[in-house]
Amino acid sequence: MKFLGLVLKSARRSRRRTFLTVLSVAIAVFLFASLRAVLDGFNAAAEASSSTRIMTLRSTSMIFSMPTSHADAIRTVNGVRDLTWANWFGGIYKDPKNFFAQFAIEPESYLRMYPEIVLAPEARRAFLEDRTGCVVGDGLAKRFGWTVGDRVVLQVGIPTYGSQDFTFTIRGIYRTSGAAIDNQSMFFQWKFADERSLVKGQAGWYVTQIANPDQAAEVALAIDQKFANSPYETKTDTEKAFQSSFVSMFGNLNLLLGSIAVAVVITTLFVAGNTMAMSVRERTTEIAVMRTLGFPAKTMFFLVGGEGILMALLGGAVGAGLARLIVNPDVLHVAGGFIPEFGVNNAHVATGLALSVFIGVVAGVIPATMASRLKIVDALRRVA
Amino acid sequence: MGLIASYNLRSMVVRKGTAAMTSMGIAMVVAVFVMTLAIAQGFRATLVASGSPNNVIVLRKGATSETVSAVMRPQVPLIESLPQIARSSDGRALASPELVVIISLPRQSDNQPANVPLRGVGPKAFEVRDALEMVEGRRFTPGTREINVGRLAVGRFKGLTLGSAVKFGSATWTVAGVFTADDASFESEVWGDVDLMMPAFQRGAYQSITARLVDPSAFDSLVAAVAADPRLDLRPRRELDYYAEQSATMTTVIRAFGTFVTLILSVGAVFGAMNTMYAAVAYRTREIGMLRALGFSRLRIVTAFLAESVALAVVGGGIGCLLALPVHGLSTGTTNMASFSEVAFKFRITPGLMAGGLLFSALMGAVGGLLPAIRASRIPVARALREI
Amino acid sequence: MALIELRDVTKSYKRDQIEIPVLERVSISVPEGDFLGLMGPSGSGKSTLLNLLAGIDRPSRGSIRIGDTEISSLSESVLAGWRARHIGFIFQLYNLIPVLTAFENVELPLLLTSLSKKQRHYHVMTALSIVGIEDRARHYPRQLSGGQEQRVAIARAVVADPTLLLADEPTGDLDAKSAGEVLTLLQRLNREFKKTIVMVTHDPHAAERASRLLHLEKGTLVEQVTVGA
Repeated sequence: MKFLGLVLKSARRSRRRTFLTVLSVAIAVFLFASLRAVLDGFNAAAEASSSTRIMTLRSTSMIFSMPTSHADAIRTVNGVRDLTWANWFGGIYKDPKNFFAQFAIEPESYLRMYPEIVLAPEARRAFLEDRTGCVVGDGLAKRFGWTVGDRVVLQVGIPTYGSQDFTFTIRGIYRTSGAAIDNQSMFFQWKFADERSLVKGQAGWYVTQIANPDQAAEVALAIDQKFANSPYETKTDTEKAFQSSFVSMFGNLNLLLGSIAVAVVITTLFVAGNTMAMSVRERTTEIAVMRTLGFPAKTMFFLVGGEGILMALLGGAVGAGLARLIVNPDVLHVAGGFIPEFGVNNAHVATGLALSVFIGVVAGVIPATMASRLKIVDALRRVA
Repeated sequence: MGLIASYNLRSMVVRKGTAAMTSMGIAMVVAVFVMTLAIAQGFRATLVASGSPNNVIVLRKGATSETVSAVMRPQVPLIESLPQIARSSDGRALASPELVVIISLPRQSDNQPANVPLRGVGPKAFEVRDALEMVEGRRFTPGTREINVGRLAVGRFKGLTLGSAVKFGSATWTVAGVFTADDASFESEVWGDVDLMMPAFQRGAYQSITARLVDPSAFDSLVAAVAADPRLDLRPRRELDYYAEQSATMTTVIRAFGTFVTLILSVGAVFGAMNTMYAAVAYRTREIGMLRALGFSRLRIVTAFLAESVALAVVGGGIGCLLALPVHGLSTGTTNMASFSEVAFKFRITPGLMAGGLLFSALMGAVGGLLPAIRASRIPVARALREI
Repeated sequence: MALIELRDVTKSYKRDQIEIPVLERVSISVPEGDFLGLMGPSGSGKSTLLNLLAGIDRPSRGSIRIGDTEISSLSESVLAGWRARHIGFIFQLYNLIPVLTAFENVELPLLLTSLSKKQRHYHVMTALSIVGIEDRARHYPRQLSGGQEQRVAIARAVVADPTLLLADEPTGDLDAKSAGEVLTLLQRLNREFKKTIVMVTHDPHAAERASRLLHLEKGTLVEQVTVGA
């Protein structure tokens, strides 16, 4: 502990250099924590998926629909407890740039099966009673400044919904209690969309509630078998698989963001390692003097190394702290559209701190070794 | 100036360890910069390559992309008969009515279901888009359940090799040939006879007509002709413009992300450069005093150190570009949200991009070296000479 | 038995294949309580001899006994501990650590012991008062004059009560007045506190203060002169 004082005072040696080094580690940790938060944001929905919900889509691809009469057949499958369906609407709100997700849902069953959509009882009732009503997520409402009672007009995007604009009334603003549903979406009654559809009675996908999570594969297979060799063949899989496939659509995000994170760490190692080596080089005489006083080589190793770790840790705390404050959905308005919400949480902060220790250790190893391997007489001679 | 330049150069060599580390820090930043922007560049290039200056794509009025457009059967001959549309040697119009749907096929890399674009095309499609070349097998025979697959698609999705049987639309189709298209987005697509696709997917209308103009300058008169006909609620667009627009959002997002990350990273590298230059100035205080005593002006000292910092940085920038180079041509893909279909493309590093990287590194060197250079020039001569 | 015994000590350096001899079969005996001055022109090897005594360099051949210990055969890590207990080193350029106050500089050797903070404080203040600089305890080296810095360095050298004090040109960088004060201090440490001192110098004024002088020339002893106390 008495050596801690020494290490701390050493950092005072060149305030500017300490400041710059701490800041460069801070930046690295800030970026690292943020990248992890982005990645986790993308995977959040898949992670939060319910183990008792499975999704049924047309096997050809998700852009094709199935008749709503499939519902009866699915209900007869063993293990099915509840059922709902939804369609992707793909409408345009004023400008294509204002993109957000819109779902035409079978209202009562959908709200029942997705308890993550949290609505006040009056709002829920008002929505179910209004054919042209809709509910929007609090994030979406904030984005456009909507309140309950507002009218929202959507232009048709997908031709099968006809050519007339759709006008909805906001009957409720929901918040989410789980990442399986995001707060940037709009839900309205399937009935209304079906009225105007060129082809009636179509469902985009079915969501089935199963009694027992272990039966997921069985039930999925059984459902698909019902429609095998029909013109509307299906492919059923868990909600988690469905969400994961969405993330994979963007590309290999893990690889991309992971590589950037690695590059960030390597850059910082160069910068921090350089500074620490410079600091040791300037102190060769001092180090030689301390060795002369009797400080063993090993102690010098830990003193110099400790200084590196301390500086890095300080930088890590600053970077992680800043990330925690700045990178969250309330401050940044990056999410929306296809980019899910993300924010730096305490786990990311912990990872960031661990990273800073790693940087301190790796960047400090060579300078610390330099300090311990110093030949006393050579260092002393350099001065005179 | 020459004396100072060589003095700086040799000083750099003396402190090569520090100089090297600083350069490497900058090299990493430039490498990340070039690599992430190469993604945007590659994506954009693929989509832009899909457009030819001679071609137009005709969509429904107000449709932002093919997938939300509809072109009715009777409208096709009306377009084809317009004088602005070129004709092939057999006298028929060089026009192809088309329809794009998504079929789900597993990706080679992670086995996840991918949105593969399936394009139903008219018999003249290959002539209208003359960049296309068959590299395996032959063109599909119209009227049959044969399909052609772009080479990038074969590599990216499972089950599309020559001779494979692919099941969709309640029927089985056979891959009769593989084509290339200069890495354009078509190379990620599966092509078949549009008149067979439509009933297979219960569609009643095409989505677009792609046609060759008699001459690129005929575009304006084509637009006028279409607008004048009340039976045509369509809008022709130059292919180049259309595809540029299709790639705009994704390209912007990727570029913004890459720039953001690189900018933040660069702050750290600039700090590193600053550290190094401050140390260099401290190390050479006596020499600087000597130079000033000899009569070299403050401005010359600033310039010399600034130049040293920039040179160091540019060397790093060059190394960064070299580090990034191996990714050029690497295949990857993403889903174009505008069309909801997966597009395979290659990382693309252009000379312009590398020049940008070098410029960026020079900027980092200048910013990092400025304050230390000013400090160097401000050292009082007498004190500097006294330093031992 | 003498406190220090050097026997046939030889030291040479290897520089790019060339062997440079620095000390050639030097034998010296130093009794306890001695104040020995080592003189000689530059390049004579006197500083090297001091380094060997301090254990910060190793002889190529020969033996060095200090107290009960044959230090030429000790390993580096053992030597470090031995040095902390037995040697107080005074450098020509003081070599105080700039980021530490005078107090903290003197405290450094005590960090290697198991003394408590209070005990350390006591020893440091004692050492500082011996050298007459306790009023500057909280000052940093840059706030001290050359003479004051050297006195702090001497305090650092004696604070752990070492067996032997080694001084390498202690007055080399000082003006006449400060040099005189430092030498008086060293004499006092020798006579009053019975400290054995080996001092390398080429300053004749400093040499006068030693009780015995040895001359080195080109790595060998030239003559032994005993100076009156």
